Amino acid sequence: MERSAKSGGLTVRRSGVAAVAAAIGLASCVAAWAQAVPDKADRVPEPPPVAKECGDANVAAGDLPNSALALQQRRQVKILAIGASSAAVLGLGHDGNPPLLEQILEHSIKGLDVEIINRGVSGELAEAAGQRLKIEVALNHPDLVLWQVGTNDAFAQVSVEAFERTVSNTVRWLKDHNVDVILVGLQYMKQLAKNEHYQAIRKSLQRITLAEGVMRITRYEAMEVLARTLRESGRPEPRDFGLTEAGYNCMAQYVARAIAVGLFVKVPKQAPPPPR
Amino acid sequence: MEPAGGSGVHTGLEAPPRRAKLGVPMTRQANAVDFWRGFALVSIFINHIPGLLYEGLTHRNVSISDSAELFVFLAGWSLGLLVVSRNEPMTAPRLVARLGGRAMTIYAAQILISSIALAMLAASAYTLDNPLILEWHNAAAVFQDPALAHIGLVLLTHQLGYFDILPLYVVLMLAAPAIALIDRFARPLLVPMSLGLYLLALIVPFTAPTWPVPGQWFFNPFTWQAIFVLGFALSRPEGLGAVVGSHIRLIRFVALPIVLVTAVLVWFNWFPDPTKLPEPKLLFLNGKSFLTPMRLIQFLALVAVFSASYAYFAPWVPWLCEFLSALGRNSLNVFCVASLLSLLGQIVRYLYNGSFLVDTIVVVCGIGLLWLTAWISEWRDRQKAAV
Repeated sequence: MERSAKSGGLTVRRSGVAAVAAAIGLASCVAAWAQAVPDKADRVPEPPPVAKECGDANVAAGDLPNSALALQQRRQVKILAIGASSAAVLGLGHDGNPPLLEQILEHSIKGLDVEIINRGVSGELAEAAGQRLKIEVALNHPDLVLWQVGTNDAFAQVSVEAFERTVSNTVRWLKDHNVDVILVGLQYMKQLAKNEHYQAIRKSLQRITLAEGVMRITRYEAMEVLARTLRESGRPEPRDFGLTEAGYNCMAQYVARAIAVGLFVKVPKQAPPPPR
Repeated sequence: MEPAGGSGVHTGLEAPPRRAKLGVPMTRQANAVDFWRGFALVSIFINHIPGLLYEGLTHRNVSISDSAELFVFLAGWSLGLLVVSRNEPMTAPRLVARLGGRAMTIYAAQILISSIALAMLAASAYTLDNPLILEWHNAAAVFQDPALAHIGLVLLTHQLGYFDILPLYVVLMLAAPAIALIDRFARPLLVPMSLGLYLLALIVPFTAPTWPVPGQWFFNPFTWQAIFVLGFALSRPEGLGAVVGSHIRLIRFVALPIVLVTAVLVWFNWFPDPTKLPEPKLLFLNGKSFLTPMRLIQFLALVAVFSASYAYFAPWVPWLCEFLSALGRNSLNVFCVASLLSLLGQIVRYLYNGSFLVDTIVVVCGIGLLWLTAWISEWRDRQKAAV
């Protein structure tokens, strides 16, 4: 926070552009993987990597059957982004460019046309987002929903039971309507590590992920690991990690990786152990 | 829905008379329009603090429409009163200048409260050592991409969450001269043109985009203009206002079951699966951004039923009528302060964790400050008039 607030806008902009370039470069590096996108089910490629500075991108396992089908049939995947902070999930696209997530996916997967429908409403709680999400699904027919959820509910002191019921019901509704979903969880903040309600909402999202067998971007854990690594190596912790443009671009890479995993990688039948 | 000066059935939304105080004609007496406007303002203040316990007491828990519809409808109604408030009709250029000036005032208010809100978020993030607060309410783009986001703020294409009603109001007031002139020179065309645009925006569909963060305006101005124009048209003693005024009893008879049935639907969340609805789906959905017909019809039914109520309860709770009317008389100032207080309420709830005690303090202090805002506004007006 301090850095982003005190440094000049030009510096921030330069670092942002550099981050975008790095992300695109990374995507280009995996183009070979992309061009080898299997037409046959028995070929299982490696998913695109995430930049080292972004930390470990943990993705709770799950496949994206409806998106994979759309890819096979139309070479197009329609993604609906909904939730509190769309920029934090999609990555910033500068100078009229599409969001970074779209750029990475289209660079990574040859011939893929990604259409992102951004319907994020800031400050919205899960209940309101869940109702609006159904309307947007009816209007836009997405193959995949990216739902950033939990942070607002945690701050608004929504009860864990109500939150879990709302998110679970909405996820089930999406599955019933042949729409894949990736839940983007809460952000890591050292200051919130001991906030009971924040942690309870985070654990609730973990439970939903496991119970419903859907993907979750474990952003909290990845950021926590990164913070610990930096701390142990004597470098300052990235207090503003979630806020900087670089942070957003890391998120876009996490999500791109998760989508690629869901589209192409066979999912182990055994559920992975819950994150720490 | 009979406006001032009309004869026949009273709707309770007549034009407000002015009250002479100390020889200075200043403050309007409590009246239905100001009362319901004040009611909408208090509801907006409460509903803009997500998770607040008292949110459960607002009428949106038993109504498809909420205070946003009421606020915009009464803005249109007030425009109708403004246009006919002079003994002699204003010339067209003067009318355009006056309404354009009003639009600029609202625009300036939007820029001001957005700036203050951003400062509040930044100050909270620093004070509470929580950078996540900088991401609240679509503020992230302002802090991460300030050059473009500030252009967007000025163009109203970048709106902070819960600070998105005034941009709609600005657009509607910019259209107000056209509305008033069509009403003056081609009255029969006004409502059909408005409803035509409304239906077109639902069927195509289209809306206003946001920028630099790609998305849509939360309040689609092409559909929400309909409720504004209907408020304007119904406030007039001629045309639609006259027709509705002369059939108000029959309309209430039809409206009451609509209000009751939709209350049950909302309470039990009995709405059809939106994916199962026929095309064009926006004609059948319950969607706030597009002000779908379901919301518009239910809102008009609600107005028809409750417009009669003021005359009945006003004698019993004069203090409440005076209180809410004071808020309604100073709606722009009160709205701006309410928006900022809602944000402050969210910060307080985050800081102290929401509880019955905290929420009660937030609501009581907030409504008290809204009244203080109205009192100061009228005190300043009195000072100006006395000079």
